[in-house]
Amino acid sequence: MAEITPLATVECGQRPIREINQEIKALIAAGRTGIELAGPGARHNLGVGIVQLARIHIRGSAGYYCAGLIDGPEFEVDGSAGWGLAESMMSGKVVVHGNAGNGAAAAIRGGTVVIHGDAAARLGVSMKGGLVLVGGDCGYMAAFMGQKGTLIVCGNTGEAFADSMYETTCFVGGKVGDLGTDAVIEPLSEEDIAMLDSTLATHFSAGERARKPAPRAFQKIVAGRKLWNFDKRNWQWWREAL
Amino acid sequence: MADPILQQSGIFTPAVIDDIQTKAASGLYQIRGYGTLRQRRWATFDDLTFLPCSLTRIPLEGYREKCTTAVTLGTRYAKRPIQLDVPIMITGMSWGALSLNAKVALARGARAAGSSNTTGDGGMLMAERENSRTLIYEVLPSRYGINIHHMLMADGIELTIGQGAKPGTGGLLLGSKVSEVIARQRDLPAGVDQRSPARHPDFLGPDDMIVKVEELREATNGEVPIFVKMGASRVYDDVKLAAKAGADVIVVDGMEGGTGASPAILQEHTGIPTLAAVCEARAALEDMALYGEVQLVIAGGIRDGVDAAKAIALGADACYIGTAALIALNCNRPLHVEDYAKIGAAPYACHHCHTGLCPVGVTTQDPELMRRLPIDEAAERVSNLLHAMTLEIQMLARACGKSDVRRLEPEDMAALTTEASAICGIPLAGTRKVYGH
Ligand SMILES: Cc1cc2nc3c(=O)[nH]c(=O)nc-3n(C[C@H](O)[C@H](O)[C@H](O)COP(=O)(O)O)c2cc1C
Ligand code: SF4
Repeated sequence: MAEITPLATVECGQRPIREINQEIKALIAAGRTGIELAGPGARHNLGVGIVQLARIHIRGSAGYYCAGLIDGPEFEVDGSAGWGLAESMMSGKVVVHGNAGNGAAAAIRGGTVVIHGDAAARLGVSMKGGLVLVGGDCGYMAAFMGQKGTLIVCGNTGEAFADSMYETTCFVGGKVGDLGTDAVIEPLSEEDIAMLDSTLATHFSAGERARKPAPRAFQKIVAGRKLWNFDKRNWQWWREAL
Repeated sequence: MADPILQQSGIFTPAVIDDIQTKAASGLYQIRGYGTLRQRRWATFDDLTFLPCSLTRIPLEGYREKCTTAVTLGTRYAKRPIQLDVPIMITGMSWGALSLNAKVALARGARAAGSSNTTGDGGMLMAERENSRTLIYEVLPSRYGINIHHMLMADGIELTIGQGAKPGTGGLLLGSKVSEVIARQRDLPAGVDQRSPARHPDFLGPDDMIVKVEELREATNGEVPIFVKMGASRVYDDVKLAAKAGADVIVVDGMEGGTGASPAILQEHTGIPTLAAVCEARAALEDMALYGEVQLVIAGGIRDGVDAAKAIALGADACYIGTAALIALNCNRPLHVEDYAKIGAAPYACHHCHTGLCPVGVTTQDPELMRRLPIDEAAERVSNLLHAMTLEIQMLARACGKSDVRRLEPEDMAALTTEASAICGIPLAGTRKVYGH
């Protein structure tokens, strides 16, 4: 993690987003890697494209694409976040205390996204690595076409969960709304249980963790691999998938 | 006795019989590369002819009077617009569909000609960056290989909504081409039939796209132009929405557009032709008073300087070429003829890029086949083609009395068919009438 320097405050107000982001980038370039954004007002594109280590605390809610296309920094959002939270992130950590809109953690290649509230539809779509952890529920089509990485939902999922995946591994603590095409439930291994235990312990406070299902109560969902290579005997699935 | 005349059905032609029997065996629609194979004609650039100077206009003297070919793309918002010496660019074709040698040869050829090239589905190849002068980075729905550092190295960002060969659908790379290296680049298991999504993972409609375009601009600090590429479908409305979303440059790819591998029916039966697309795109920008401010790049079946000159005259600022550039690399050339036969093709009749066994090393990941495409020679052919096409455009522009190829205009042409007249709003040759207007 970046060395902690005295916290620099960026006032968002009504300033153009370019100015806000340029100020953040200039502060980081000057070695001021601890930054808080005051009055974020759910503005879109806050903190996009930051590729240095830094710790950015958003004192309120963020709009679309908060922390999108980042590599390295840590973000904390006190409120909720709009669509495309942390999309295409390569490394770093993004923590949202409220809820997140559609497509949170879409296409991430690494890093960690923690949403303490609920996530809307298409959580972790096309994710290519990293860890996504949701404290509450998620909407439909989470993990659609997931390629790699781990997605953990402590609550319930929406429809078409884990549809058409490659190698993402999903864990659900609540009810799976309905499994997507080629999604299969697999027994938890002892390693999975240990991983869930330590992941929940790392990202949740003791009190929060006590309200989540026990690691052994999670279901593990992976790809059945029937869609990986076309086979005419499975045309019913392909009718859905192509 | 004389042989009887054997009659074939005009409905169940040999190609239709083959299609039915292939599907009956496989249970899957046909997938192939290259682009539409339709013989039946719709209005194309061939339905227009130039009207060079005679008495009403004075031509430029070929060897003495200058005819500029330079183009600037991204004048609307970008701090660093793209400057090209020639109005023909190499389109985005993925490393994965193309071999590494093909990608590098295209980059070097474009660089030598003062042109640009574009990455593709699967991300940026470092060798491509190192060999490019101007490199545009594609952001596609799959986001394979998406990498902010690569975006920051790019001279332009292209947000791809669709392609002319298969508008409205996702991508497909058959397992034979998903080698270990390609799989690693795309974060996929090797050998899978890779499907890619049709929708972007983080936005849906045009209003969300406004924010997405702003995100890409923020991520690249407003430095480079943001292109929006679309398959030609409802072009008039789509171009308006892309312009409203803040695109600096709009790319419209007509139904003739090439592909590495797509369902054949999409190539044949979806989208509108390039000629129609350029006319609709120009009308949309004019109606928004953005013509000239938002640049227009046209793609799809551009074969030579004539097609490009006509597209420019109808409103394009530049053209993208894909298949023509691959043909310069040797695609469909009668070399290694036995290897064409092995994949069920023949020189001049190959559209088998999807097999991964390209006989001339262009669309393959097989190291042996790729060696058939030595980079330096291939790059030279690409730059020669770009130069020759530019000379063709200049020749037509000079003949029409234009000192800058971009001054070519619809008025410099006549339509040869009523369809082309109606589509382009250009009088039919031999009349002073614009049909349908
Ligand atoms: C082999 C091949 C691979 C392609 N790969 C991509 C791609 O990765 N992304 C994309 O937007 N378009 C891709 N295209 C489409 C081209 O960018 C372009 O739209 C089209 O080829 C233009 O038509 P033309 O080939 O007739 O010039 C590909 C085309 C070909 C021929
Ligand atoms: S020669 Fe190669 S690039 Fe050309 S159509 Fe055949 S397989 Fe594709």
